[in-house]
Amino acid sequence: MILTGLEIIKQVEAGKIQIDPFDVEQINPNSYNFRLGATIKYYINDVLDPKVKQEVRTVTLPDDGYTLSPGRIYLGHTFEVMGSDYYVPIIKGRSSSARLGLFIHVTADLIDIGSHNQWTLQLYAVQPIKVHPGMLIGQVTFWQVIGEIEKYRGKYQGSLGPCESKIYRDFE
Amino acid sequence: MILTGSEIRKQVENGTIVIDPFDENQINPNSYNYRLGDHFSQVPELLSLGHKDQETNLQEIPEDGLQLEPGIIYLANTHEIIGSSRYVTLLIGRSSVARLGLFLQISADLGNLGPAHKWTLELTCVQPIIVYPRMKIGQVSFWVPTGDIEEYSGVYTQYDVPKHSIYDLLLRNTQ
Repeated sequence: MILTGLEIIKQVEAGKIQIDPFDVEQINPNSYNFRLGATIKYYINDVLDPKVKQEVRTVTLPDDGYTLSPGRIYLGHTFEVMGSDYYVPIIKGRSSSARLGLFIHVTADLIDIGSHNQWTLQLYAVQPIKVHPGMLIGQVTFWQVIGEIEKYRGKYQGSLGPCESKIYRDFE
Repeated sequence: MILTGSEIRKQVENGTIVIDPFDENQINPNSYNYRLGDHFSQVPELLSLGHKDQETNLQEIPEDGLQLEPGIIYLANTHEIIGSSRYVTLLIGRSSVARLGLFLQISADLGNLGPAHKWTLELTCVQPIIVYPRMKIGQVSFWVPTGDIEEYSGVYTQYDVPKHSIYDLLLRNTQ
């Protein structure tokens, strides 16, 4: 079952959901709108080999915006630090950015329970699109679980800012 | 409600969820990492009604990797046989692969309640990317439904290879 907006507020107040900073204005009927953080990374290589640690270039988004180009995967991040040890977060785009052809994740919408971070967003633009730091770029939903909870202790825990793929560790 | 990782393990042990082969190390807090199978197939550039020769171009993914190019849909399959008649299966990507810009599905992540099989993946990439057979490529979650269950009886679960769209099915009510 999915939490309503009012239930998200209640669970944030009870400390069972972390959204920091939290602004009640960003609550929707059954989700919370999150902001785009100020840093973006992209890979220097054109061809990406998961066995190889990929070098990145880091960009600080200017206030007047930064244009994302199709044909490149950009890593952004949520401005908010978010997570829950009780509910499973699933991130979604907002229809307002979706209508402009901006993907905010690449088929990876499920966040592990117990993962507390500024979440990394996988930004992919169908047409060139300008993004601005602090814009309300996506939304997060929270879902009830069944079964015993074992919290996330993985390789991205505690990350701040966009974090590039660490999949090369799978091959070590 | 979504099953936690330990609940997935429990339901695999009592046979309510099928994941075969199953490896404890691939369990996440609320999902299971599946692997890429050994084969792939490209979708013909222009599909048309009655297209019958779509299975013929099945190829092996080389051990030293296959480079995918943007602008093309590659069909592949999960290495594992996955399914449940009790819990709804959602097949999605994992963030480590998503961070490299590889889509695993094209807006169709929802599975049917019903027989277990190797699931077809729709791979498309933002930048060229290399994939390896049996790499951990995506994740699957399981959800508790509400209501009486009628199992899927469609054709796609009969296939354990990358199965092309039965395009005619999409059009059957248009004529």
